[in-house]
Amino acid sequence: MRKPVNPERSRRAKPKVAFFDFTDCEGCQLQFANMGETLLALTELVDIVNFREIMSEAGEDYDVAFIEGSITTDTDVKRIKRIREKAKVIIALGSCATIAGVNGIKNRSPLDLAKQRVYGDKADTVNTIKAMPVHEVVKVDYFINGCPVYIPEVINVIKCVLMGKPYPVPNYPVCVECKMNENVCRYEKDQECLGPVTRAGCNSWCINYGNKCYGCRGLVENPAVNGQKDILLKYGLKAEDILNNFTLYNDSMGEKYDPEFK
Amino acid sequence: MKYASIKKENLNKWLEYLKKKARLYAPRKKENLFVFRPVKNVAEVCLKYIPTILPPKKYYFPQKEKLLKFSIEPFKTAKAISEFEEFILFGVHTCDIAGIQCMDVVFRDGPEDPNYLNRKDKMTIIGIECLEYCDQYANCASMANHVPRGGYDLMLVDIGEKFITHINSEKGERLVKGLSYIKEVGETEMSALERVREAKKKVFKEEFSAPLNKVNQVFNQGFASQVWEDVGKRCVACGNCTAVCPTCYCFDVLDDMDLSLNEGLRYRIWNSCQMDDFAQVAGGEDFRKERANRQRHRYYRKFKYPVDKFNRYFCTGCGRCSRSCMAQINLIETVNSLAAEVKES
Amino acid sequence: MIEREILLEKMKTSPYRPIKARIIEARMLTDKEKFFRIELEGGVDLHHQPGQFVMVSIFGYGEAPISICSSPTDKGYFELTVRNVGTLTDKLHRLGEGDILGIRGPFGRGFPIDNMFGFDLVIAAGGLGLVPLRSLIRYIMYNRNDFGNVQILLGCKTPKDLLFGQETKEWMRRAEIKFNCTVDRADPDWKGNVGLITSLIPGVDLNPTRTYGVVVGPPIMYRFVLTELLKKNIPEHQILVSLERRMRCGLGKCGHCQIEGVYVCQSGPVFDYAQLKNFKGECHEKAG
Repeated sequence: MRKPVNPERSRRAKPKVAFFDFTDCEGCQLQFANMGETLLALTELVDIVNFREIMSEAGEDYDVAFIEGSITTDTDVKRIKRIREKAKVIIALGSCATIAGVNGIKNRSPLDLAKQRVYGDKADTVNTIKAMPVHEVVKVDYFINGCPVYIPEVINVIKCVLMGKPYPVPNYPVCVECKMNENVCRYEKDQECLGPVTRAGCNSWCINYGNKCYGCRGLVENPAVNGQKDILLKYGLKAEDILNNFTLYNDSMGEKYDPEFK
Repeated sequence: MKYASIKKENLNKWLEYLKKKARLYAPRKKENLFVFRPVKNVAEVCLKYIPTILPPKKYYFPQKEKLLKFSIEPFKTAKAISEFEEFILFGVHTCDIAGIQCMDVVFRDGPEDPNYLNRKDKMTIIGIECLEYCDQYANCASMANHVPRGGYDLMLVDIGEKFITHINSEKGERLVKGLSYIKEVGETEMSALERVREAKKKVFKEEFSAPLNKVNQVFNQGFASQVWEDVGKRCVACGNCTAVCPTCYCFDVLDDMDLSLNEGLRYRIWNSCQMDDFAQVAGGEDFRKERANRQRHRYYRKFKYPVDKFNRYFCTGCGRCSRSCMAQINLIETVNSLAAEVKES
Repeated sequence: MIEREILLEKMKTSPYRPIKARIIEARMLTDKEKFFRIELEGGVDLHHQPGQFVMVSIFGYGEAPISICSSPTDKGYFELTVRNVGTLTDKLHRLGEGDILGIRGPFGRGFPIDNMFGFDLVIAAGGLGLVPLRSLIRYIMYNRNDFGNVQILLGCKTPKDLLFGQETKEWMRRAEIKFNCTVDRADPDWKGNVGLITSLIPGVDLNPTRTYGVVVGPPIMYRFVLTELLKKNIPEHQILVSLERRMRCGLGKCGHCQIEGVYVCQSGPVFDYAQLKNFKGECHEKAG
């Protein structure tokens, strides 16, 4: 399997880390930049050589590449392939990179129509392809879900990279963490929440602060779609609203759930 | 002294006193529900409450509990917690006390679990007896946990202007002794207690369609029942039912390194038999793959397996699993459908 | 026995604290399985029974249950054979001689050796199932006169997956143990049987009431092999299996290894068929 990037844990052989963004809002990198003291502690373990949001240098020699954003143009495809050739480890950072995220909404209509809607009569001049998560184009070694990413999870993944062990993205739902945090269930408050079918790992961040779950971390591998649909129907939602809920972040190709809900 | 009484107007005074004795946890409101929390302001303590979101198990079997400290180079292990602090659980319902008794049985059963026992040793339980149903989800009367059955230090009963407290241990007696506002009870108070208990008999009725020993037989025959398929279809495997259960104690073990990558902590963290990979082995074989199998396992861990092993039901009747289930899988309905099915066949 | 008392006391007061151990030998047996010889701190013996398991810790990488493949008669060390299948085992495969591990255990109930004295044995191993069985076989070799006829049936996917090749030859030569091996798919150099392990059983000659049948392998194998052994009229309590489950604690608490009401880490991993057949549906290893 994987070799540790830094097997000797020696201070001298710090792995070089670079950040690259594709189609996204750069919010995940911002989370990183806002880490404060922890970021300083991290620089003891890694050398950050390329990070547009916090530094002006842009090193082209790196071991670990954080990739933020979805792949949405032919140029993106070429660029990410070049990065893959250089980097020993690729980490998909945030929903856009891991599941295509909000960008994936574009895939729900034919490409021409989507271009027309966004760019009007300039549509022909725009080069765009379907929005893809990074792993649809190149191999990804680590996935950090979330919109934006949850910093304790980011740190956990970095430790995994340094120790040469995989980071298994939780395959249980947000409810697990939410209950441990003893939140009042959003369904108690008549809000439709995607916690029951969304991957945990965020420590139910949104619900802790009174919001609901939008499913930004992607669905668990074996979601009980029918069970969840029954729940949402029971709470008085129309099938169309449920589909909208499910597809804000997920199932951009409409492969999994459209037939279930339509 | 076996029984003492305290006027309601003095309750907060007593709470202040208890707060000084040890760390005090009690129920209080959270949005439209209730939670156990450390008492900061005694006025927030709420004794009329439906079962809290999480049972008090979070204090004696925490969500994420340190098991040991370690370092890789040099190889070293140490206890993660050197000293546990005294704490008082105040206002615990009899159903949750039954939950504590169940956990005791499990963790004292050899090999003993010192982490649990260390915490338990420092715990004082002050219960409160329910005189009315909390809501329609409870099945405490069927489980015979609607009345106190030991396992506490003090037990409060509301008789109107006063609480009568049953003193069940020396630990409990120490918390009421020598206080001017807590008095030994007289005959009038004891007869008031009798009246309250009489009235209660009219309120609580067995919630299951069959008596408990019949329910146990039903489970002996119901392993292949269609009921589990129906429940499995509705279940989304969110794990709420096991997290909120006062007698669920399954866990996972994980290591967390600090940034030195040389030192860290090993934790145990709540885990649920409802999770997809809970019973999966390294080779990939999953022994409870379907949600139906996992739900059945949960029910059997309440009504059959512990009865065989410990002669004790692990359902306390608190109703939390039904209350917290978004898919509205209801324990009383499930047990009753199973009973009906077995009866027909 | 003083050291044994100390070990037991340690396990009782801090059952979650691993004991320091050192790898004194490590080598690959096949592409996927690595063999380790391990010494507990101070050269203390593990005092296990054949069929028991230990929890192996590598700090930061976690802990996993692993069957012991050496016999308690091998003194001063114990041995493990590990397939690379997860985070812990992957890291373990990257360790070698001199590296440090944490060990908890031994845990579980092993083979009921005392009851097996004087009996004939038919031992069927599928693939990695030979690992816990090696512990039993080495014990038998050491105490060869305590047992009757011993026949070993071994099945694996291809000749390349065969574990302990040299050693099995030695068993045949030295200890009068009959040994039969079959592979699912042969390669050009293979001269032995080809086919499923079940195909070896009809040819086995045995006196059922004087025989213990012992089966360890992947779940799919049990169903067929157990059916064959039952056909041979071996009494149910003389048919033994060892079940693989993913224990997290080894103390009968965490719930992961539970089959219906039974904690495999406490009541198993070795069960007899009389116990096995009582499972209603969560034991995939039951005879079909």
